[in-house]
Order: sequence, then structure tokens, then C-alpha cells
Amino acid sequence: MKISDVIVVGGGLAGLMAAAVAASRKQSVTVLTYGSGSLPLASGTIDFGSLKNLPAHHPYKKIGVSNLNAAAKFLVDITAQANLPYVVGEKIPVVTAVGTLKYSALVPESMDASQLAGKKKIFVVELAGLKDFYAPMLADNLKKFFPDKTFETAKIDLHLLGGRDITCMDAAQLIADNEQPLANELKTLNATADDAIILPPIFGVMGNFSRSTVQTQIKAQIIETTCLPPSPPGIRLQRAFMKFLQSSGVKFFENTKVVRGVVEGRKVTGVVVENVVREKIFRAKKIILATGGFYSSGITMRDFDNPREPIFDLPVFFPTGAENWSNAQLFSDKPQGFATTGIFTNERLNPIDADGNVLFDNLHVVGNNLGGVDKIFERSAGGIAIASAYKGATL
Amino acid sequence: MSDTKAIFTGDRCLSCTSCMANCPVMAAIKDYRGPKLVGPAHGRMHFSQEDVEESLNYCSNCKSCDRACPSGVAVSTLNMLQRAEYYKNHPHLRSEDMLAHGERMANLIRKIPFGATFSNLGMSIGKALGVFSALGIAGERNMPAYAATPFKDAFSSIKQTSSAKKVVLFTGCFINDNEPQVGNAFVKVMNANGYEVLIDRRFKCCGSPLVVTGFLDEAHQHADNNVARILDWKRQGIPVVTPCTSCSLMLKEEYHELFGDDKFHEAATNVYDAFEFLEMLQEHGEFNDNFKTLNQRLLYHVPCHLKSQAIGLPAQDILEEAGAKVNLADAGCCGISGNYGFRKDKYEISMKIGAKLFERVKQHDFDKVICDCGTCRMQIHHGTDIKPVHPIEILAQAY
Repeated sequence: MKISDVIVVGGGLAGLMAAAVAASRKQSVTVLTYGSGSLPLASGTIDFGSLKNLPAHHPYKKIGVSNLNAAAKFLVDITAQANLPYVVGEKIPVVTAVGTLKYSALVPESMDASQLAGKKKIFVVELAGLKDFYAPMLADNLKKFFPDKTFETAKIDLHLLGGRDITCMDAAQLIADNEQPLANELKTLNATADDAIILPPIFGVMGNFSRSTVQTQIKAQIIETTCLPPSPPGIRLQRAFMKFLQSSGVKFFENTKVVRGVVEGRKVTGVVVENVVREKIFRAKKIILATGGFYSSGITMRDFDNPREPIFDLPVFFPTGAENWSNAQLFSDKPQGFATTGIFTNERLNPIDADGNVLFDNLHVVGNNLGGVDKIFERSAGGIAIASAYKGATL
Repeated sequence: MSDTKAIFTGDRCLSCTSCMANCPVMAAIKDYRGPKLVGPAHGRMHFSQEDVEESLNYCSNCKSCDRACPSGVAVSTLNMLQRAEYYKNHPHLRSEDMLAHGERMANLIRKIPFGATFSNLGMSIGKALGVFSALGIAGERNMPAYAATPFKDAFSSIKQTSSAKKVVLFTGCFINDNEPQVGNAFVKVMNANGYEVLIDRRFKCCGSPLVVTGFLDEAHQHADNNVARILDWKRQGIPVVTPCTSCSLMLKEEYHELFGDDKFHEAATNVYDAFEFLEMLQEHGEFNDNFKTLNQRLLYHVPCHLKSQAIGLPAQDILEEAGAKVNLADAGCCGISGNYGFRKDKYEISMKIGAKLFERVKQHDFDKVICDCGTCRMQIHHGTDIKPVHPIEILAQAY
């Protein structure tokens, strides 16, 4: 069996990013995933969090801000190759499905709401049969951000209903390659170049093709919102990565659960995969661990105060004492203690123990496995994922 | 590993929708309510009361949902168990009966002198007269033609050197009745690696076509029969190897998911996919890599049921070592899913799912298309007019 230059364990944002970066540097890459990863459930926007006044144990301190910038540039480049243009900025507004604004750093062009403040009239359009998107509610909430604008809501019927409730993904799949009925309905709004039309993310599941087809016929800027999963913008990002990995000859194996490493002292020579019948060893010169945190079983906890990293049994850092574990005020301005649980590394992203000793020299920990901060509270999970993946793949 | 029995996995579902994002049937039609709702969600209700989810019949058992699931839910097998429940109180269609019992049909035809020839002729005439359509079988398709002599009958005339190292070939129905050349290639490759190939006439169809059409009790009988045979070979230290990836998935994994008994796991440890076995020989330094160089460009359609097995792609690695250039089609499910695409009411869905793969194959930038699954090969042939071969047929050319 061949020995890969790199094995990436995990197929979420960090795993796909690490695989793409390694492949772009002419490395032979094998990706092992169990489950389809986080992107189909994600908004497709990537938040960086704050880069200022970072504590010493913050993952960004180990990763370095230069890697975040390089990662963002790389991601913009490969998504552009898949006709999925992204914009980068410090604080790009995105409209959510309920009509609030969230701010992000890397945003698909179709969701960039930066120009909204300069528009005269904002149309909000819902689709008959599409669940979890209500134009009047969205418009009411968005008015709080833009009190001086005129809002108009509309409901259009594209006859999408079949035997089930229609999600944004369903609508996106039905509209792809059949955009004209939607374009025709939007034309009847008579929106001008000074206006914007806000819609759920239904313009296909591959790149920006469907939106371009419609946008060329409509003067007003079309802006997509976020939505509940399955999420077309996240699926588009996943497919842009997959397209790049496929064209780079990356080996990608689904349903492939890694159960432990094969190690010789401080060197990892491979990983063991357990299928239903037997085990198989995949060998590599270098391993990137991108299995995620609590939410993706990258970290598990059967017993309280005993979180574990299940593949290499790496030391996991966590706040001790039940009083530091959680914050009962879920929406307060304080992070959750448990969410800081994770693996600590040196600057090469090698896992370290409590005394700072490096455990493996060719194992690099990236993404949500990294401990020390509540990434959800900070909104830094996406930035940490791509930056650590970039660094892990370029070391 | 007893928790792999499907019925125990439904409660692990978090409703995350990963399965929906990866279901090729949902992407093709609006009527299927999707793996999440039909499998784990509705499954909980269904097993406790008579409550039929009609759109369950759209599931093709391609297992894309199982592979997408981060929580180890056996979504597609939950669907198959519910389908079996449905047929406890509902009659099967003629077409379902026919498509589920390919093995029985082939055995009947073989009893008639020149049966295979007449049957193949009958299929073309029957098709021309619209008989398929009347039976509920997609009239657009050719039924797989029967080989003049089934593999198991021709087997004894293959000259092999006897060896202490032996494997049993589980042919599966398609190789035995329709494409014996795949079996011949397998024997040639194993012989070149110092193995003598045995067959076991007491094996029955693995049961995959029965499971997807709701004949679960019958599938259970096949499973009991086959597993008794596999365990018998295991006691003799002889592995059972199959080049058919749907057979191997059924023998290795689905028997246990469906029926639960520990003996299914025990038997599974003695079953190997053909290239998985060859790769293990390689790991042990026992693989014959004294190849004639294969100067071929191959396009590999990886069957869904191989992707589910978590064994990597040993066929790609081995063929590349023999000098072939192997590109992956990477175009998703072919849409046939065993007998699913042969049903009249599923034909259009099946072709819509396969469209991306057909488009890729039609670029024709290769010498051959390779694929381990017999029905995928038929679907590719039907959708593109390009006839694929099993990767073992290519490897056989290297010896």
C-alpha cells in the first residue's frame, strides 16, 4: 500500500482546507472522513473573531495572523476557480433568515449585504411552500437596522411543492438549471438599480451560476440570506473544495472511521481504520488531525472531568471545577467554560502535554480540536479552522 | 459490535440533515420525504404501530445517507426493515417479484434446453412487444443477457494448479449468470498469486435484491444458509472472496444490521472483497507484482457499496502499480441501485441520478471504464453506450 505524504483525518472546514492546501503544494494527500462534515450545516460565511488583545494560550497566538491572511487568500482563490466568488473584509454584514445582521470576514458574494445601507428600497421575497423563511418577519426585523428604508414583501409561487416540505436545499436544487421562472417572477417586482432584493439562499448548490443567470436579468442587487440546514451556501463551499481536491488527485474516503494511530516514539507512521469487519492501516509521513471538538466527536467525554481525544489519546485541557464548566446565562457577554476544552499545541501545532512537552513531531492539530477559547462566543471558529489548517499543511 | 444492528442506531439521530444534503433520490425528485424523516424519525413510530410512510418506496438503498451520517445511524437499513414491514400487509407487484428473484429465474431457464439462448431472444422480443412495460419493468432497458453457460458449470473446465493456499469464490448472481468472464479473470489473478480457487454450489444469492424489494424473510433464509457455509469454510481456514461489491457489503455488514445475530459478524470476518484480499497479500509481501505493463487509461466509477466498506480503493492502487493510469469519475451514484432502476416507475429517477456520471463517461478520455459492481456497469452501458469492465478483468491482462 502506498504511503501518502499527508493524511488528513476529518472532512469539515479545517480538514478540507488542510487537504486543499497540501495538495496545492504537490503533496500526495489522503482524506479520511466519518460523516459528511460540518459544511452542509454551515452558513458558508467564515468569521475570524477578534485578533486583538489575545491571551497567550489563544490558538491564534500559535498559528500567527500571517497564516490567517494567507488562508483567506487561498480560500478566495480556490472558490473563485469554482465560480463561487468570496469577498474578504473586517466586518461584512450578512442578513440572516430572521432579518438580523451578522458580521463576518469571508462572505460569498451572493450574501454580501455591504451595499444595503445605500439602497432606496428593499424587497424581501419568500417562496410558496418553502419552510423557515417568512418575508414579513424578516422585513420587520431588518427595519430596525434600516429605519429610513422602504420595505416591500412579496411571495412568489414557483410550484416547488411535491410530496414534502421544501427546504432551501430543495429549492436550490430545483432552481439550478431552471432559473427562468424565478427570474420572470422577480422582474414583476420592477425593482431598480437603486434597490435590493433579499431572498433565501436558493440559487443552486454549485457556485454562483444560478444567481448570475438571474442577476443579469434583474437591475436590483440580489442578496441571499443565511438559512437553516441543509444550507446551500455551505454545500457550495464544500463542493468548491471537493472540486479542487478531485482535480488535484486527492484520495478521499468516506465512512472511514479512524480509531487509533500507529506510532513509533514521537513519530506517527499511519492511522488504523476500523470498518465493520476488520482494521486497515493507512500510512503517511505526516498526519493532520481535523476531527473537530465536542460536536463532532473529535473530543468525547463519557465521564465528567475526563474529556478524551479518542484517536491518539492526546492530553485534553479543560476548565476544572463544576463552577467553571458552564455559564447559566446562555446569551450573556461571558463565554462558556466547557467550550474552551481542547488540545494545546506548540507553534508547529504539535500536541503538547501539561508540561509543554511535544508528543508527536509529525502530527498537527487543526480546527475545532484546538483548545483554550470558546470559539462560538468569540466567533473565531472559522478563522481558526482555516488558518490552523493552512499552517498545518504548509509546515 | 452488536450495536451495529440497525434498529439500535435510530436513536443516535440528531436531525442534523447531513443525510438529506447527500441523498441522490431527494435531489432527483420532490416526492421522497428523505432519509432523515423516513429512516430514523418515522422508523421510531413505524416499528410500534401500523403507520405506512408511502414515500419509503423511493429509497434505493444506495447508502449515501449512511455514509453522510456523522452519528453511525444505519439509515438505509432502517428503511429496508420498514419496507419489509410494509410488505407484511401489502402484496408485491409482479415486477418486484421478478426483479427480486433473478437467481430463481436463471435456475428455471437453465433447466430448459438452450434456455439461455431462447430466454435472451425472448427478452428482446418481449421488450419489442412491450411485455416489460406491462409487467412494470422499465421498457427502455435491456434485461441482462444470460451467459450461454453459467460460471459455476464452466468452472470445472478451468485448468488450475492445485495449491495448499485456497480461496472460495462467492460469485454472486450476476457473475455466475451474466458475466462469467469476471469469474474467469478472478481465477487467473488468484492462480497467478499462488491460490487455487474453489466454488461452493451451496451458496445462494446474497439476498441484496430480496432486501430492497421487501422479501426480508426469504433474505434471512439466504443469510442463514450462506453464513453456515462461510463459517464452514472459516473452520477450514479458507477465506471467501467476492469481486461483487454489493454481495460483499451484504455478507460483511448488512446481514448483521438487518438480522442481528452474532454469527453474522463471525462469518463476516472470513469475507473479503477481491481487491481488498489482494491488497492484504501485498501487505504480507505475498503479492505477485511481476506484471506485464498495462498501458491503459482507465476511468473508475467507484460503486456506492464499495464506498461504504471503508477499505479505500485497493483496485486503483494495484492497477496503477501495474502501469495503468486510473482516474476517478467522481460523479456520484449511477442511479441503478441493483434492481431499483429496472422498475418502470423508478426509471426516470434512476437516469436523472446517473446523468452526471453519463456526462463524465461520454467525455471518453480513456481506454476503458472500470467498475466493481455489475448493475452499475449495466447502468453506465445503458446511459452511454460504453461498456465498462470489472477491474479484475484488467488486472488479469497483466499476468
